[in-house]
Amino acid sequence: MNRYYLYLVLLNMLANVIIFVPKILIEYRYKGAVMGILIAVPIGIVLNYFYTKTITKFPEQGLPEITADSKHRWLKILHLGGFQIIWFSAGLITLIGFIDILSRFVNPEMPKLSLLAIYLAAIFLIIQLPTDRVMYILEIVLFLNLPLIGFIIFKAFTNEFLSWDSILEVGTHIFERPSLKSIAAATYCFSGYANLIIFNRVIKGKLKNWNLIVIFFLGLVNLFTTFLIPIGFHGSDGAQQYLYPWISTSDSLRLTYSPIERVIFLFLMFYMSITLISVSVHWHIAFELLKGTFKEKVSNKKNWLVLASFAGCSIVGVIFLNALLLDKLTVYWMIVRLGFEIILVGSFFFWARRRTT
Amino acid sequence: MAINQVQSIKDSLKNKIRPAEDVVFKEFHTKEKYIEALYIKTISDETIIQDKLLKPFFEISSPDLFLDYLQSSPLVISFESEQKSLDEVIKGTAILFYQNSIFLFDSKVDRNNSVLDTTVETTIQGPQSGFSESLPTNLGLIRKRYPQTSLNVESTTVGTVSKTDVMIIHDAMRADPDTVTRIKQFLASIDVHMFQTGEQLLDIIKKSNRALVPVMLVTERPDRVAVNLAAGKIIILVSGSPFAVVLPTVMKDFMSSMEDIYQTYWVTKFLQILRYIGFLTSLVLPGLYVAVTSYNPELFRVQLALSIAGSRMSVPYPSFIEVLLMLFMMEMLTEASIRLPKAIGPTATTVGGLILGQAATEAGLVSNIMIIITSSVAISNFVIPINAFSFTLRIMKYFVLALGTLFGLVGVVVGFFMLIAYMVKLDSFGEPFLTLIQSKPSKE
Repeated sequence: MNRYYLYLVLLNMLANVIIFVPKILIEYRYKGAVMGILIAVPIGIVLNYFYTKTITKFPEQGLPEITADSKHRWLKILHLGGFQIIWFSAGLITLIGFIDILSRFVNPEMPKLSLLAIYLAAIFLIIQLPTDRVMYILEIVLFLNLPLIGFIIFKAFTNEFLSWDSILEVGTHIFERPSLKSIAAATYCFSGYANLIIFNRVIKGKLKNWNLIVIFFLGLVNLFTTFLIPIGFHGSDGAQQYLYPWISTSDSLRLTYSPIERVIFLFLMFYMSITLISVSVHWHIAFELLKGTFKEKVSNKKNWLVLASFAGCSIVGVIFLNALLLDKLTVYWMIVRLGFEIILVGSFFFWARRRTT
Repeated sequence: MAINQVQSIKDSLKNKIRPAEDVVFKEFHTKEKYIEALYIKTISDETIIQDKLLKPFFEISSPDLFLDYLQSSPLVISFESEQKSLDEVIKGTAILFYQNSIFLFDSKVDRNNSVLDTTVETTIQGPQSGFSESLPTNLGLIRKRYPQTSLNVESTTVGTVSKTDVMIIHDAMRADPDTVTRIKQFLASIDVHMFQTGEQLLDIIKKSNRALVPVMLVTERPDRVAVNLAAGKIIILVSGSPFAVVLPTVMKDFMSSMEDIYQTYWVTKFLQILRYIGFLTSLVLPGLYVAVTSYNPELFRVQLALSIAGSRMSVPYPSFIEVLLMLFMMEMLTEASIRLPKAIGPTATTVGGLILGQAATEAGLVSNIMIIITSSVAISNFVIPINAFSFTLRIMKYFVLALGTLFGLVGVVVGFFMLIAYMVKLDSFGEPFLTLIQSKPSKE
């Protein structure tokens, strides 16, 4: 089931647009973002490699099952608790960011909380499903949306207003000293592997190495597309002025013969479902890990308590975080995430090696 | 069996069956022997009794030889218990009291055994006849189309009052044994008074008895049953119903017509894609119309947005009322045309569809574009080959419409994926209802 693994990585690559990755990269375009991307690719691949290698030793098991009989309690709590927070906050940032986008571009007159309400309803429906069913939904969503994103990217690259000069200009800053922030942001595209922490349950058979090659190319193309297309459209200086560079970029595209003339609506409709499933996947993981930390079986009441706290966090987030603040927070969150990921992959790798030998 | 025991059983049986016009209790005598028979003549085939029982009775003179005849006749089952005999009598079996033994003589009349034409799942080419309403005939039809010795037929009864005969048919070589036991458990757990047809199972399968999406396929085509048997599915036949139930069923089965086999490859692919587009159109279009006209008219290019707004100019209320009004009319029309006699049917559609639609736009009650949307929703709804699923679709679109009304474009997209998630959540006897790549159940 190698394709499931690719879906998970691909999902993160697609969702990076919402979680401010292009914004961060474009901010550092003269200050090492290009080099940052080039460094992020090997880091991402190495993390992918070690994590998949390790987790393949435990076929069809999620982390709660793997660590069920572990004696290292602190390690277990670090893993379960740490990933919980990371994935919950990843979902939260994506959700709050996208609610903000929706209220800016689609429903400006509607209160943000009612937009949040419908998203929470759908997300709660999905995260309570068994893991394999979440995977099936992800597959359907990607199947319905990938042709669309392919089309949009094709339209973007073939657009006559895409200024290759601007792109090349940014390219000349390749030898700038890379900044940590841009590296952290760029590695987010590769961190879909960490979804395996729960989704390994549905993966049958070994994960083969050619996946890594696919991820390498996908990631490279994805990062440069995310980073350079907005620059190509808005100019190397102008791109910085947008809070959501990609949304504004898609609004610069025009389909001459289609009934829907403005690509932004196609793009937003496509991201409505991608965000939905991305948040659901992340929160499903947080939810399952939380279930895993409890020793006994989780009762229905506790379930609802957890969901209510998820809802509470997102309501608070939507009320108190505006887009600028969220953007600033996300930058630091990215760095924390990268550090955490390295620690977790490393400790999991060594723990698993000691255990199997 | 002792004589007094037989006598007591005879008396108790006679007491338990209320005297009615058609209950027959008769003694037949010859010089050497006599026999007593108890049966209900309206549900028993009296020619069978005449040919297979009375003729030999009068032809075979020796009592012992006649006992041998009875014991070796394939129509005769030996007595087991009083309750079982009662159950059999009210289904048309005759009870025979001969010497010191009791026999059950199978004289059930087989009515309604003519094979019907398909009326629900029609195809242009391929077999045209469906099932009959008689259980043995239906089983025969299946056996004829599926000549395999591994075909396994088990029978049980469902319904506390109706005691309907139900047959579970599967190919022992292909069907998943777990699924078979699960289905048997399910049938045994059913608690209803009247069980008339397999469609009732659609609701019974849910604990709450309230289902939206059918998770089993009800078909009237023997060829579909045969194809499904070969695919390892399990068939339930219900006595008195010309429909068979196919289990487990996934969404792909609901979207496939038998014609898919009878057409060329590309035609089939085209038709299948057409059906999925129809599904999508019917589900999303009403909600999308509301979302686009009331929330985001800038979605479409200017000319189109203007022409939609222009056609809505005379409409004095918001778009969702317009949509609800028209959909409501359309549902009425659909319902009415099912109920109407065939001769008046076309009139209703003409009056309702053409004249009413025309008049409604001219009176400024609904917009022209709304009429187009309503009719395309209605038409694409009927593209779904399996009736039960197309009815489900009729309801599901209101969910999308409601969310589209409340939340605009977001509501339509999220509502659509909520429905997808709901369908993914369902499973039909252990098989997920909706996945992108529906893999065949593997057997090791």
